[in-house]
Amino acid sequence: MTEVIFVSANGEKTTVEANAGDTVMQTALAANISDIIAECGGAMMCATCHVYVDDDWLERVGKADEDELTMLDFASSEVKPTSRLSCQIKVDDENSGMIIHLPDSQL
Amino acid sequence: MALAPLDDEIAISELISNPYPIYKRLRAQTPVLRVKSIGRTFITKAADTRPIKDNPELFSSNDPNTPMQRAFNAHTLMRKDGEDHMAERKAMMPTFSPTNLKTVWSPAYEKLAHEYLDRLPRNEVIDLFPMLAGPLSASILSIILGMPDATDDDMQFWSQALIDGAGNFAWADEPFERVDRAHIAMDTYIAKQAEILKAEPDQSALSVMVNAENPIAYSQIVSNLKIAIGGGINEPRDCMLTILYGLLTNIDQLEELKTSGNWSAAFEEGVRWVAPIQVSSRLVMQDTTIRGFDIPKGDVVMTIQASANHDEELFEDGDKFNALRKRTPHQSFGSGPHHCMGTHLARLTIGKLLLPLIFERFPNMEIVEPENVKWWGFGFRGPLNLNVRLN
Repeated sequence: MTEVIFVSANGEKTTVEANAGDTVMQTALAANISDIIAECGGAMMCATCHVYVDDDWLERVGKADEDELTMLDFASSEVKPTSRLSCQIKVDDENSGMIIHLPDSQL
Repeated sequence: MALAPLDDEIAISELISNPYPIYKRLRAQTPVLRVKSIGRTFITKAADTRPIKDNPELFSSNDPNTPMQRAFNAHTLMRKDGEDHMAERKAMMPTFSPTNLKTVWSPAYEKLAHEYLDRLPRNEVIDLFPMLAGPLSASILSIILGMPDATDDDMQFWSQALIDGAGNFAWADEPFERVDRAHIAMDTYIAKQAEILKAEPDQSALSVMVNAENPIAYSQIVSNLKIAIGGGINEPRDCMLTILYGLLTNIDQLEELKTSGNWSAAFEEGVRWVAPIQVSSRLVMQDTTIRGFDIPKGDVVMTIQASANHDEELFEDGDKFNALRKRTPHQSFGSGPHHCMGTHLARLTIGKLLLPLIFERFPNMEIVEPENVKWWGFGFRGPLNLNVRLN
């Protein structure tokens, strides 16, 4: 079983079981992680599923590509080098257990 | 299980004049209801509406029995799914990129907003619908689409003709005849303008579509523009007037925003409170169930985002405008692959540019006889008038 660990802006940690192949955004919505809004449902047309990948996991998860960075311009919280749109991160065996930090706001 | 209950009492006229008390009753008593007058199954709870939009395989946008195809003389991207929809949507996307919004459309809107505000007379009663909200929304749209020589009146006439045609569920002759006249004018102008933009490209929608490396069919380019004309004026216009009404009838909230500068909160609250697009139709592709009721393949469900946005489970006193309420996501821009393409443009131009500008220019603007503001619409909804005195 693959899993994702979400850490909210105030430090609250939630470990969620994920289906391999699902995106981090889908995993969060299925687990009612309310800090992920995902207004466009994963079409990379908004920036309301913005997350920060934990420093230790960034290499394995990968950085945002150019299209994603452009869309991150709309993010409500500060965009950092670890920023990603969670609809663009797929959960797999390689990155199972990744730590995902949630921003303090999405709108 | 059984089919959802059938209502034969709700009249279209009631929904047009004020649907909110009906939706409140439906949320409490029959959140899945087949409504005879509309011929659709109404889905009124927020927890049910969003998953429908997010699942286009089960709930298709291709509702076959609407007057839209006749009105647009085309099968448009609004009623397509999957790759077909995405190809046509993507063709326009470069125009709406964050970079273009910031560096091209934002300065253009600011300049226009100043021009229109400069023309407004002080110390007399004026109606902001025809004096500001309609023409300003038309004007910026004409520039973004690459149709800058179209007048505000042309744009508003074409837009209304498309809307009235697409909403002509009675299949009357007049709206279709009017939209056919509009097509002739639009087609002529767009064809001429496409040649100009091929020679001198810019970031406008027509330009990026005709100059793309692998352009979509010209007929689809034209349909895309018409969809944008049909939806791109009334929505900013209606939400602008709704937000101004909300703030001018809640002066305490307005004063607080003048201090905090958090105009985006007023924008989100306005579009939540009275969603400019109130309902959406989706065709059911496989037998399914909602809240235990059978929803058969071939049925058409109607997500009522206007109702979802007032859902008691998410919003306290959702029927009241409160720009200071806790920020909770609303469904006015939809979700899933058809999520509104103009979302960021609207948030930027109205929320971040126009609202601060108008209250800086007219800090003591007053609403005149708010009880005479007439609200109208079932599919699209907004105020038909907004009388104010500027000073």
